[in-house]
Amino acid sequence: MAAPTLTRDPPPTPAPGRGLSDRTRAERRLGWLLAGPAFAVMLLVTAYPILQAVYDSLFDFRLTDPTNREFVGLSNYGVILSDPIWWTSIGVTLLITVVTVAVELVLGFALALVMIKMLRAIRPVIRAAILIPYAVITVVSAFSWQYAFSLDSGFVNSWFGWLPGIAADTDWFGGTASSLFVVCLTEIWKTTPFISLLLLAGLAQVPEVLQEAAKVDGATWWQRMWKVTIPNMKAAIMVALLFRSLDAFRIFDTIFVMTGGANSTESVAFLAYRQTIERLEIGLGSAVSVLLFLSVTLISVLFIKGFKIDLSQTRGDR
Amino acid sequence: MSRRETIWWLVAAAGILLYTLFPVAWIVSLSFKSSADIANGQFLPTVFAAENYATIFTGDAAELFLPALRNSFGICLIATAISCVLAMFAAYAIARLDFPGKKLILSTALAVAIFPVISIVTPLFNLWRQVGLYDTWPGLILPYLSLTLPISIWTLSAFFREIPWEMEEAAQVDGATTWQAFTKVIVPLAAPGVFTTAIIAFFLAWNDFVYGISLTSTGASRPVPAALGLFSGASQFESPNGPIAAAAVIVTIPVVVLVLIFQRRIVAGLTNGAVKG
Amino acid sequence: MSQHRRRRGAVVAAVVALLATLVGCGGAEPGPPVLTWYINPDDGGQAEIAKRCTEAAAGQYRIAVSQLPREASDQRQQLIRRLAANDSSIDIMSLDPPYVPEFAQAGFLAPVPQDVAARASEGVIRSAVEGATWQGRLVAVPFWANTQLLWYRKSVAAAAGLDMNRPVTWEQLIQAARSQNSQVAVQGRRAESLTVWINALIESAGGSIVTDPSVGNPEAIKLGLTEEQATRAAEVIRNLAAANVGGPALSTAGEDENVAAFEDGAAGFMVNWPFVWTRAKSGVEDRTLDQSVPQDYGAALYPEVVAGTPSAPPLGGIDLGVGAFSRNPALSYQAIECITSAENEAYYFVENGNPAARSAVFDDPRVIEAFPMAATIRDSLEQAAPRPQTAYYSEVSASLQRIYHPPGAVDPATAGQRAAELIRAVLAKKELL
Repeated sequence: MAAPTLTRDPPPTPAPGRGLSDRTRAERRLGWLLAGPAFAVMLLVTAYPILQAVYDSLFDFRLTDPTNREFVGLSNYGVILSDPIWWTSIGVTLLITVVTVAVELVLGFALALVMIKMLRAIRPVIRAAILIPYAVITVVSAFSWQYAFSLDSGFVNSWFGWLPGIAADTDWFGGTASSLFVVCLTEIWKTTPFISLLLLAGLAQVPEVLQEAAKVDGATWWQRMWKVTIPNMKAAIMVALLFRSLDAFRIFDTIFVMTGGANSTESVAFLAYRQTIERLEIGLGSAVSVLLFLSVTLISVLFIKGFKIDLSQTRGDR
Repeated sequence: MSRRETIWWLVAAAGILLYTLFPVAWIVSLSFKSSADIANGQFLPTVFAAENYATIFTGDAAELFLPALRNSFGICLIATAISCVLAMFAAYAIARLDFPGKKLILSTALAVAIFPVISIVTPLFNLWRQVGLYDTWPGLILPYLSLTLPISIWTLSAFFREIPWEMEEAAQVDGATTWQAFTKVIVPLAAPGVFTTAIIAFFLAWNDFVYGISLTSTGASRPVPAALGLFSGASQFESPNGPIAAAAVIVTIPVVVLVLIFQRRIVAGLTNGAVKG
Repeated sequence: MSQHRRRRGAVVAAVVALLATLVGCGGAEPGPPVLTWYINPDDGGQAEIAKRCTEAAAGQYRIAVSQLPREASDQRQQLIRRLAANDSSIDIMSLDPPYVPEFAQAGFLAPVPQDVAARASEGVIRSAVEGATWQGRLVAVPFWANTQLLWYRKSVAAAAGLDMNRPVTWEQLIQAARSQNSQVAVQGRRAESLTVWINALIESAGGSIVTDPSVGNPEAIKLGLTEEQATRAAEVIRNLAAANVGGPALSTAGEDENVAAFEDGAAGFMVNWPFVWTRAKSGVEDRTLDQSVPQDYGAALYPEVVAGTPSAPPLGGIDLGVGAFSRNPALSYQAIECITSAENEAYYFVENGNPAARSAVFDDPRVIEAFPMAATIRDSLEQAAPRPQTAYYSEVSASLQRIYHPPGAVDPATAGQRAAELIRAVLAKKELL
């Protein structure tokens, strides 16, 4: 186990420089003393398991058959990467991520614009309301939307029967496209508030002076939006994008409740769950988990490097 | 502001309320439908019936639901408390002390926050069954820290940076002891931030599903979201939509209450931790 | 540093101690040994039987029940994961028969004592005993045996001119439903119930999904999916979907959705378990269902795939197994003998609608009163066929579901071949599931 060692020897502390005063040294020590436990716990509950998963992924290991555990090297990864199911689930996950995050960004921005100008009297009401989807348990929201659309308990078909393509007997969970539509809708409902709050905070930081100056120059609302507001809150937008994209890419609960992966609606996280928990193939499942972890890391690196998000700056590490 | 504008704002507000509350209202409405009424194809029940609540509190599902509710509260509160205490120390160090590795701790927290839970659940399951933590409270509390600690550290360090720490020294100069200075000056300043952090951390723990279904198997530790999938109708072939809706409403009540009381703080906490100018 | 280390150690110790006290509650209590019985969800019958047997044991043991998830596949997962952790708290388990071989093969079941095995198979329906047997030995005790019947609305069948006193074929049903603008409700949801349907169709056509499980070497499993019988079965699925008589929810409907469609009249025919009848009766009691509805219910043997060849209806139910790590295997088997007594099986049948594994129970007047179709259920059980018996049932079933779902997309010419390839690849761990 790696973690306990780390507690005892905080790694990156460079050997105390010769020029350091006792006070500095004491402060350093106190710093690690205070922050160390939290750091250690975080490593214990994530770094250790992921290393274990990497190790497990090199074996052919079924939970009910531990005696036949066998080292197979990287062949589990070969199996996964050459399997169309893996690529389908990557496709589904990316689709959900792109669609939900794009819609949420637009919707969340609109919400933020409304909220920042909102009358003082109703602002607390709106603020509380907007927090509710954020606070509701994902599984509960998934059940709620599923029941709304399902054939036996839902009301959507009878309410929206006048729309073309919707009839009393439209089975929303009977096809890939319609299932994914409902899944995305649920995700969007649940997480737009989070994005809108982040954007609201960014919006509040746009200097009023700039807006006024643009107004004096005769800029239209759109021009001000594109030239002043958005460039000035780029950091907030990027952080919101990054966090929501990573969150969306890990989608599991909603799919588990709504479709159980039927009709090719499996996300990558669900695929990992199916291999390890349902199929009991620890080796193969761990390999899927590791690949999911790598994908998430890749996305963050792309975001941070590609869009040059300085998290330490936006997150206030001054 | 003109009257027309006011009306527009009210319309916008009504729209937002409709958007945010509609699915919640739907599950509440569903929970009051009797089993014969579930399939009525309407939003509202024909007759308001409390039978689903009776099922989960005193009926067949009570043995499943009540322990799960107790587990959810207990496990989430303990996980929240532990992560708040640990994060308090860490955030204090980050905000006040100068030591190398600050950035490492913050980036680790960030990395843990974006970690796919499903990736670590299998190794945890294997480890837990070896050390006997499978299906126990600590077996869930520890993994829950991976959900609650990162956000706690971020949010709290943001809060702690805002605290005018000079006041502590000023109080000491004025003759207060270190302890007095701490309790009388710093604690009141820090308490709101800690409290807000606790609420946000609690939301995250309360929301967990993957750990709940993978690391538990009985009423000894199974939390409510995981228990929802276990409800059953009169026979194993019948769907328990009504009781699930009722249980969903019950677990939503605590978070809604927290939101209603502390909405301003929660917003401050969420945005403070995430975006800092 | 050492001072800090000690302090840190103290904090860790305090946290651990705190956690330990939190879970430590409970502890040993005096009294008879408690046997934990992991039950599948039902209408309270197993809990009641547990109570009765506890009383009958007169202080020898006490049975406590603990509930498993609703889906059979989830029940299996939960039990397997606990047993893989060498959990000694599992004494008695309610097992879905198709998973019995997997448990037995993994060594998760305590051996059935010979005398118990003898008593447990005497007077018990043949297919139920078969389902609880692995490698020629009884490894679990049949508790109740379920089977699907062909439920029909007498009015619809009469209007279509179907003689329900004689066996009917799927083709006839599809025609009848079409002519009456009605539906044939089948379980097309991607779940275990879909495998139940596929297996019954293949067995009814005279084939088998797995012809040789090849115990030592799962990759060499022999499959009957490319045989002509499997093609016939797939044709039934395709024809039913193509004729549009499966109802709008064909690909998402499970037992419950179907019984709702049958109750409200949308479906004139349905293959389903006998809980249909219990549900209709309690619906009438609760005044949510008009009593004319159950009066219109008819129950017949499962439809034939090949006219003239008796069908092989699905076999379900529950077998009772004893956990290999149980501290009280002998007492557990004693408790199981109490649970599976004719008296308790009759009670369970009448109150929860779950048919008994013992033949004699079907002659019990209480049973006949509650289930006028009891004789049909027994006949159905007599000719029922278990699902494939293999230690890798879960993989086989999930692979089948992947290929045969949605039912509307099944191509009889290729489905069997694709399913066989997938099953082999999955068992060889060459493909994901």
